[in-house]
Amino acid sequence: MAQEGLLVSAFYVLVFTAMLITYRVVKGPTLPDRIVGLNTITTKVVVIIAVVSVIRGEYYLVDLAIVLLMVNAVGGLILAKYMERRSHD
Amino acid sequence: MIETILMLFGDAVMVFGALGILRFPDVYTRLHAATKCDTGGAMSIILALILIMDAPAVVRAKFLVLAFLIAMINPMVSHAIARGAYKYGVKPKVVVDMYAWDNP
Repeated sequence: MAQEGLLVSAFYVLVFTAMLITYRVVKGPTLPDRIVGLNTITTKVVVIIAVVSVIRGEYYLVDLAIVLLMVNAVGGLILAKYMERRSHD
Repeated sequence: MIETILMLFGDAVMVFGALGILRFPDVYTRLHAATKCDTGGAMSIILALILIMDAPAVVRAKFLVLAFLIAMINPMVSHAIARGAYKYGVKPKVVVDMYAWDNP
């Protein structure tokens, strides 16, 4: 049906944008660029998990998406604090 | 019908946010593109998923909680990264730096 094609196309678009941002993570000029790329990729992975949960009809994956979002929040705050106290030269 | 419009809007916003992260010249402008486009696109796609699926109300409530947490957490983390990047020593490529006026 039409809804299934819409969900699968959204999945492929999200994977494509995550692969575009991987360039910024690998070849970022400074450390904050890489952290911005990692944060964006993790948010995209949360949305990908939600889309896969609706496609497959296995709704327990939503709990995994919520836990991954919370881990992303804590990791981002710890990386920001690390950048703040380690000022280079 | 409305879920198709929401899903296509979220996809377009995600693609433009990725282009902004690739093409902008500075950490702060990249952070602007990342947090704004990513939060709006993710919330739009999750609202479309709520309208599409046929599931009990508890599962829809879980998706609403996920959208609310994205709207709360993503700006907080981006604000912390911008503050840490300024303290780390990355200077913004702008003419007027108002943060340096307030915090010498």
